Amino acid sequence: MYNSVKKYLKILVLASAVQGLFISPAYAEEAGHYGLGRIATPEEIAGWDIDVRPDGLGLPAGSGSVADGEGLYEGQCASCHGLFGEGEGRWPILAGGFDTLSEGRPEKTVGSYWPHASTLYDYIRRAMPFTAPQSLTADETYAITAYVLYLNEIVDEEFVLTKDNFSTIVMPNADGFFEDDRPDVRNPTCMKDCKDPSSIKVTSTIAGVTPTEHMEEGASNMTEEAPINEHGKGIYNQSCAVCHNNGMAGAPITGDKEVWADRTKPGMEAVINRAINGYVGEDGAMPAKGGNMSLSDEDVAAAVHYMVEQSQ
Amino acid sequence: MKKLSESTTDLLQEIKTEAAELPQNKRRDFMLNGLKLTAGTALATAVGKVVAGQENLPPNVPTWQKSLGRGVVSVPYGQPSKHEANLIRRTVEWLTADKIASISMSPLHKMKGIITPSGLHFERYHGGVPEVNPDDHRIMINGMVERPLLLTMDELMSFPSESHIHFLECPANGGMEWRGAQMEALQFTHGMLSGSEWTGVKLSTILQEAGIKPGAKWVLAEGADAAGMTRSIPLEKALDDTLVVFAQNGEMLRPEQGYPVRLFTPGWEGNTSVKWLRRLEVGDMPWAQREETSKYTDLLADGKARKHSFVQEVNSVITSPCPENPIKRKGLLQLEGLAWSGHGKVKRVDVSLDGGVSWQTAKLKGLVLSKSLTRFGMEINWQGEPLLLQSRAVDETGYVQPTLSQLREVRGTNSIYHKNSIHTWQVQTDGAVNNVQLG
Repeated sequence: MYNSVKKYLKILVLASAVQGLFISPAYAEEAGHYGLGRIATPEEIAGWDIDVRPDGLGLPAGSGSVADGEGLYEGQCASCHGLFGEGEGRWPILAGGFDTLSEGRPEKTVGSYWPHASTLYDYIRRAMPFTAPQSLTADETYAITAYVLYLNEIVDEEFVLTKDNFSTIVMPNADGFFEDDRPDVRNPTCMKDCKDPSSIKVTSTIAGVTPTEHMEEGASNMTEEAPINEHGKGIYNQSCAVCHNNGMAGAPITGDKEVWADRTKPGMEAVINRAINGYVGEDGAMPAKGGNMSLSDEDVAAAVHYMVEQSQ
Repeated sequence: MKKLSESTTDLLQEIKTEAAELPQNKRRDFMLNGLKLTAGTALATAVGKVVAGQENLPPNVPTWQKSLGRGVVSVPYGQPSKHEANLIRRTVEWLTADKIASISMSPLHKMKGIITPSGLHFERYHGGVPEVNPDDHRIMINGMVERPLLLTMDELMSFPSESHIHFLECPANGGMEWRGAQMEALQFTHGMLSGSEWTGVKLSTILQEAGIKPGAKWVLAEGADAAGMTRSIPLEKALDDTLVVFAQNGEMLRPEQGYPVRLFTPGWEGNTSVKWLRRLEVGDMPWAQREETSKYTDLLADGKARKHSFVQEVNSVITSPCPENPIKRKGLLQLEGLAWSGHGKVKRVDVSLDGGVSWQTAKLKGLVLSKSLTRFGMEINWQGEPLLLQSRAVDETGYVQPTLSQLREVRGTNSIYHKNSIHTWQVQTDGAVNNVQLG
């Protein structure tokens, strides 16, 4: 125990020296039982503790208007969520859907379903935009939050969202949730004559929605020996697939032979250069290196080769 | 040596020619049957007259026995046989907008135990798999604690650790079938389910090291992935059996499973076992995060939604026969399945062959562990009659797996999550198996 306390104090001293911080005596009084780890500094905690609770705990200082949010939303969010929050493809719908929750096909949006506005701020702050999480400032996050609330007619177009007025936002479905009360079903363990056999109605599956190629007669159970550009595939999945799997922002879809045959006409070098340096044209926009500047030129080239191979 | 008669030789040639037109896996059966009928004992003495496709079968010595195999560490990290290449995780592409925030399913139809090989464990990501460098990874404990802590992986692994076998299941398992049968394969109807041995430090040990302040009621777990995945866990569960896990099936976690460290909440819906764990915050109320409000809440028919529906209630499914494992021959056959409950041990599993009119109690086969996959089985004598196969599990709390009609009656069809109803496989007279629902 003595050793662990000594180690703990040593760590504290070291942490204080490195960080130049005052650490309250309350911490130094006793280490934990195992004396493992060191005290996290307030700066370290501030960098990581980004959650926001429904009571507003965790909101940073700042503000953002619906007007500012509109521009940010159109640039950062609309390509997936749609200009009006209607959602592109299978990406989440953000707005509308009011009074649909008890219908056959409910539309669960921020406005129709989410019980707390804090969740919107928290989630945009931690996970959006999808391809560049934790890249928005506090004010930008306030502005986009305000704009999504505006798309749901929860605030008006003049609204400016701030840390101080956040708690005034009441979400339409705030009372729509209840705590788990299961078990909600009781099935008696009948063993014999449990139902009339003639009453059984059998409903089959919808045809053609299951990927079943691997189950068909004669499906190969052996490893295919075809060489795959694994490096390029890895880079592609990590940094390119988000747009090139579905054609977002005019991106040529991987596997679309016709489009790729056209794009590769100027030669592979030109295609790779475009991917490395970026491109904006009428047929779409390609951010330099797909927006991931940590990729080397070789990484990008490998990914381009992979995409072309997959599109032949 | 006795010579094959001319007519036998001709017949063999005919079988060979016909067999060449069949797919590979059919060919072997066809030829075997043909040979049994015709050549009989003649073949046993026909050494030197090797029939194509039969060269590895007795009386011939198989090719792999007539030369040396590969030596040690030719494959430093062992891989499955290339003949098992079909045994892989699979996804249903139309389910999600993108593979980065998506799910894949385990091949349950081939699972022969309660442990899923780590490489076949189902995947669920909200922002892809981060490549975490363990040397640069830290676990922060903050909030209502006496000592906010920062732990390295080495420090985390210096706490006393425990190993437990538990299932992990996505609450959306089976969720595509609330409205009707859709998926013609067990892998897709139930494959968001796997079982592993998990090794880690009890979360209570770590929280006590930081010192929990009075008034604390909840713990937020946060991942280091691009989604910054978060869930609020009641302190009661955190101090009960929740683990901070670093190893799975005896080795460090796979990246897909949260390398180098994840939370593990036994018996609870999968996403509460936050992967790539970077932070634990203690507080006095839940954080109402996106994955516990917008998602992972169960919308009922009246428009109200159940929240904090953590436990995966008792469930079971027959894994053979199933669409991927049709019945191949008449006679005695081994019906097999898996049962599991987030409330504890599986107490009993009943099986029906007639769509739930009558039930027989199956045998539990092997280990029966709390919050773990449990094997069950039954021997049946099939003579080509159509069947409606069902399994119904009961756990140690006495809770009985419900029928789909019972679930729909109280929950409607928009819940998405927690569909643990009795599943039905329809066996046809030719042995083919279909996924059906009973009304």
